[in-house]
Amino acid sequence: MNAAIEVSNLAKIFGGLRAVDGVTLQVAPGERRALIGPNGAGKTTLFHCVTGTLLASSGRVRLFGFDVTQLPDYRRTELGMGRTFQITNVFTELSLVENLVLSIIGTDRRKWIMHRPVSAFPAIREQALAGLEAVGLADRSDQPVKLLSYGERRQLELALALNTSPKVLFLDEPCAGLSPGERTRIFNMVRALPRNITVILIEHDMDVALGLADRVTVMNRGRVMAEGTPDDVQANPEVRDVYFGHA
Amino acid sequence: MGSYRIVLGLVALAAALLAPFAVGQFWMTLITQIYIYGLLALSVDLLLGHAGLYSLCHASFFAVAAYTTAILQVRHGVPTLLAAPAGIVAGTLLAILYGASVRTRGVYFILITIALGYIIWGAVYRWASFTGGDNGITNVPPPSIGSVTIASQTAYYYFALAVVLLCALGYRILIRSPFGLTLRGIKASESRMRSLGYRTTKHLYVAFVISGAMASLAGVLYVYYNRFINPVAASFQISVEVSLMAIVGGSGTIIGPFLGSGIVLGLRNWVSSFFEFHAAVMGIVFIATILWAPHGLVGLFSRLRARDTKTKVAPP
Amino acid sequence: MNSGVLQAINGISFAALLFLLASGFTLSFGLMRVVNMAHGAYYLLGGYIGLSITRYTGSFALGVLGGGLAIIPVGYLIDRHFIRRTGENHLAQVLLTVGIAFVVGDIALKIWGGDNLKVPTPIELRGAIELPGGIIYPTYRFVLILFGILVGLLLWLIYHKTQIGAVVRAGVDDRETVSAIGINIDRLFVLVSAMASFLAGMAGVVGGAFLTLYPGAEWEILIYALVVVIFGGLGSLEGAMIGALIVGLLDAYGRWLLPEFSYFVLFGPMAILLLFRPRGIFGRES
Repeated sequence: MNAAIEVSNLAKIFGGLRAVDGVTLQVAPGERRALIGPNGAGKTTLFHCVTGTLLASSGRVRLFGFDVTQLPDYRRTELGMGRTFQITNVFTELSLVENLVLSIIGTDRRKWIMHRPVSAFPAIREQALAGLEAVGLADRSDQPVKLLSYGERRQLELALALNTSPKVLFLDEPCAGLSPGERTRIFNMVRALPRNITVILIEHDMDVALGLADRVTVMNRGRVMAEGTPDDVQANPEVRDVYFGHA
Repeated sequence: MGSYRIVLGLVALAAALLAPFAVGQFWMTLITQIYIYGLLALSVDLLLGHAGLYSLCHASFFAVAAYTTAILQVRHGVPTLLAAPAGIVAGTLLAILYGASVRTRGVYFILITIALGYIIWGAVYRWASFTGGDNGITNVPPPSIGSVTIASQTAYYYFALAVVLLCALGYRILIRSPFGLTLRGIKASESRMRSLGYRTTKHLYVAFVISGAMASLAGVLYVYYNRFINPVAASFQISVEVSLMAIVGGSGTIIGPFLGSGIVLGLRNWVSSFFEFHAAVMGIVFIATILWAPHGLVGLFSRLRARDTKTKVAPP
Repeated sequence: MNSGVLQAINGISFAALLFLLASGFTLSFGLMRVVNMAHGAYYLLGGYIGLSITRYTGSFALGVLGGGLAIIPVGYLIDRHFIRRTGENHLAQVLLTVGIAFVVGDIALKIWGGDNLKVPTPIELRGAIELPGGIIYPTYRFVLILFGILVGLLLWLIYHKTQIGAVVRAGVDDRETVSAIGINIDRLFVLVSAMASFLAGMAGVVGGAFLTLYPGAEWEILIYALVVVIFGGLGSLEGAMIGALIVGLLDAYGRWLLPEFSYFVLFGPMAILLLFRPRGIFGRES
């Protein structure tokens, strides 16, 4: 059976900088993989190359065996990738419901309808409200995103990714900047996701990362440094060195 | 929709319908012009206020449509029923071609549309053997459908009003549709839209062509109103002015571009009666709007109204 | 008579003039992210002022210098009090500076009237000279080429070989970092803006001597400058040079071979370039 995500010797070079320097990894379908490493390790850049926000300089990316390396980001989303961004990227000028609606119809032919209003599709609105409910934002549904706090926007960011019906979900520091309560909420949400969705997440919060992950990949300086179960990785002296500066 | 808005809308409609009886010939023709330029400004605003694209070449579609209709009617005696649609088609074809510009963004898009606009202006101006050059095309007959000729200014007023209202209605449906929402999504965050699966450039292209078709319709309306067309209609100044109309009135709304058209044309009319340097006055209006009222008249009005956190966003 | 060569020289002399205007425009954008559509108005105003100075003092050189210098305070005021308020909103910049150009245009109309005015050139530059190959060519336009090369060389040297140039280049590359390492980015802006204004004003005098000055000239020259920058890429000095050459030559040959379609000859290749490389020859992804 094909890996959900297979990255083969991927590199991304900016001028003289090898942000990603030959990364190879495989994530099994339904797996929860945490991608950790110090700042500047290349984790987000790797995400960009896998999801299509950036094109890799070399190497291959396969989604369920299908080579997507040169495909644009929207095409990869059509094929089943969903992602959140490290820097919150929601539609601030629109209302919460509108945000979700855009997420829902992103890969739906109905996005091209020009002769009927969005309100003529109550099922979409209901789906949008349900999506907001799942992240606890349903009571603010018609308000503009502008009024939301940072933490609430992060929740919305997650909701957007979830509602594209992804097969593989890429979460880039979903808990960054959140209060402990908000973190727990996100943690529980991700944990509750069905196993037909594969989840790969970048996270600095070790409790969240190691608590959610089946396997962990550690990156440093653009390369994979270690990989294994959370216990393996925690016991790995090199990894501890990188994080704590001593063996 | 708030009830006050419905009332306001009905009052405006009544005023529009009764205007020819209340005001003189001069004002009526000015208001007709306001409707036509308002429609052109609305076409620009589809891109500006909804998709976030700042096109400065819309005078091209306006002029190409106007010239096509004029040349067909005047030189080849083609009846209105063919000449008018031909004009719209010609302008739309140009938009289909010029739509390639949506491959660029931001400042590059602005510069490229400026240059594209100049191509048409240059063609219209220098290809004098075909377009009449500086002199333009004169003696455009009034539109006639079968045996009915819309000859009088009053009749044309109502004709233009009807066309514009129909357009505005269609526009309203369009911007409230899923497609309209995708445009606003692209304006809010194109990267997000792409990661949600949208082929953003394709959406922008379609919007550009629709916008060009609207501008072409305005051009056809214009040439029958004016009975004359010259290269000024294709000028950069016109493209800039209608962008300003959209902004001054309130970008992103339906009434905004028409309000803006009223303000700009009304102001120019008033000023030119006592001051010859109306370009400078227009310049000052540009400057004042950008610096102090970037959300236009509608924006100013909304700010006065909104005292609490009540949202102005209608549910989808 | 070798008309093709003649047109090439025409094109190159026009390119020299365009370079003067486009170089300031493109660097203003590269460093300050400003699209200043009043650049054409700077050209016109500088030209008129230079014209008056030349008439009054009898010196063309003083006119050229004076026209350039006069625009520096104008440009500074406009930058500081108007353009700065628009941040990086390019549409606002365009509309604002177009409005300013309208105002400046009307002020110029009031002061200098609507007739075509020619900046008087000194005797030494009038008439024609004989170029290698037996071509007789107007002296002024030939000297203009030399002048353009001189200014281009000077700018290139300053930009690539001096420290201040290095700082400007760094600023064009990455404004935030330059600011973060303690360089007074504001003063840099003022400097580049002053240079752009000076060049534009000077271009007006220099251009006004053979193209004449009249209401509307500011828009005609601006569109050429824009095409130069579209070809060459925003923010690139080399782009302004190459772009100016391309535009100058296309314009000259276009006018000669297809006068009714000369705009097509110019914009056609531009449009094709845009389809395949929207950021121009030397531009960077914005």
